[in-house]
Amino acid sequence: MDTREIISSGILEMYAMGITTEAENLQVQEWLRIYPEVAAELSHIEIDMENFAQSNALTPSPDLKSKVLRSVQQVHFAAPEKIGGKVVNMLPFWKKLAAASVLLLLLSAVTNLVFFNKYQTAQKTLTEKEEQLLAIEDSKKGIEADMEVVHNKYSVPVALQGLPAAPDAAAKIFWMKNTGELYVDPSNLPDAPSGKQYQLWAIVDGKPVDAGMILTTKKGNNYRIQKMKSFGKAEAFAITLEKEGGNPTPEGEMYVMGKM
Amino acid sequence: MPQLSKYTEDELVALLRLKDEAAFGYLYDNYAGALNGVVSRMVDDQQLSEDILQEAFVKIWNNFEHYDHTKGRLFTWIVNLTRNLTIDVLRSKGFKKQQKISTDENSVSNYHDKFSTSEKFDTIGLQKQLTLLKPDQKQLIDLAYYYGYTQDEISKALNIPLGTVKTRMRSAIIELRKMMHET
Repeated sequence: MDTREIISSGILEMYAMGITTEAENLQVQEWLRIYPEVAAELSHIEIDMENFAQSNALTPSPDLKSKVLRSVQQVHFAAPEKIGGKVVNMLPFWKKLAAASVLLLLLSAVTNLVFFNKYQTAQKTLTEKEEQLLAIEDSKKGIEADMEVVHNKYSVPVALQGLPAAPDAAAKIFWMKNTGELYVDPSNLPDAPSGKQYQLWAIVDGKPVDAGMILTTKKGNNYRIQKMKSFGKAEAFAITLEKEGGNPTPEGEMYVMGKM
Repeated sequence: MPQLSKYTEDELVALLRLKDEAAFGYLYDNYAGALNGVVSRMVDDQQLSEDILQEAFVKIWNNFEHYDHTKGRLFTWIVNLTRNLTIDVLRSKGFKKQQKISTDENSVSNYHDKFSTSEKFDTIGLQKQLTLLKPDQKQLIDLAYYYGYTQDEISKALNIPLGTVKTRMRSAIIELRKMMHET
């Protein structure tokens, strides 16, 4: 092949593009040594290609330059003995990928932990609030039941006054005149000492009749208006302090009393 | 437009051989955009293409003693190094998804003409011209240049004699050269 044939064959362009075979590369390099016109033509092609590439340039991110310079400096300082030696592949992509996935996994674990803690706190708060709400509901039901008794149009209130044994004590009785149901509000009785319990008596025909035991242990948060035994009639009511469970007839001291 | 206003190409090559960082910075300033243009046209993901570009510069730095100016100009060496690195990355298993150029199990026979519709593909200005080639000519140039297949691989995969591959490639190049001189 003479130089004109070489130049017109297209092999120099393929060589510049890097798509020739090893054998062709050696052939072209041989021609470059022997024929200055071939070398000149190749340079011409290469400059054309470079100009094309420059006119199609895309500016990379501004921070890439410092990254590139940093990574070659690292190579420079970390492994000076390797310069001129074996190729050190600094950025194997699978390594970056692995590092990235480990980082992601860590991040995700941390995030999970944070969210789990938040979830637990939220769960605890929710449980507390639910308990509070239930307590309020209970309390509200109790108050509503109390108010029902107080507001009932058949309800006859009887105030029981403190007696010498407990001058500051007081209690209220609500007697439903239509049904005979009897309720007591013991809120203003002193706490019963342990082992003792208040007992309500209805005075019927001049005799005290057991009307039931009054709960003053704080079952809820408040003494509730309590339903006692029903009476068709009664002249008066009294509360005495008796042994736990009560007595058939009053034995203990009388704390309060009131007439219908 | 080799913008060697500060160094001549010979000076630059000499300094890079001596691992001169200022010269390397200059090389970056002059060629990063052009190389990025090449890589970006082969890779969809901007981050990945910049990673490849970074690795390419590291390779240029580390392997500079392999550059032989009697075999070609500096830019030819670095652009082909960068292009080959991009092909290697695209072929490596982890990055199939990012490939603009799907090599489908790296098989030549699965070649699909992805470039014909993509005006963005204008690596070193070739793609515009490539679209004007006959399909069989274009295919050979694509496979060799963008996919990195050797002539031998192309010959085997397409079941075309090696001589025919060479003839078609050259006639494609001659066509391209004509077009370039016309434009």
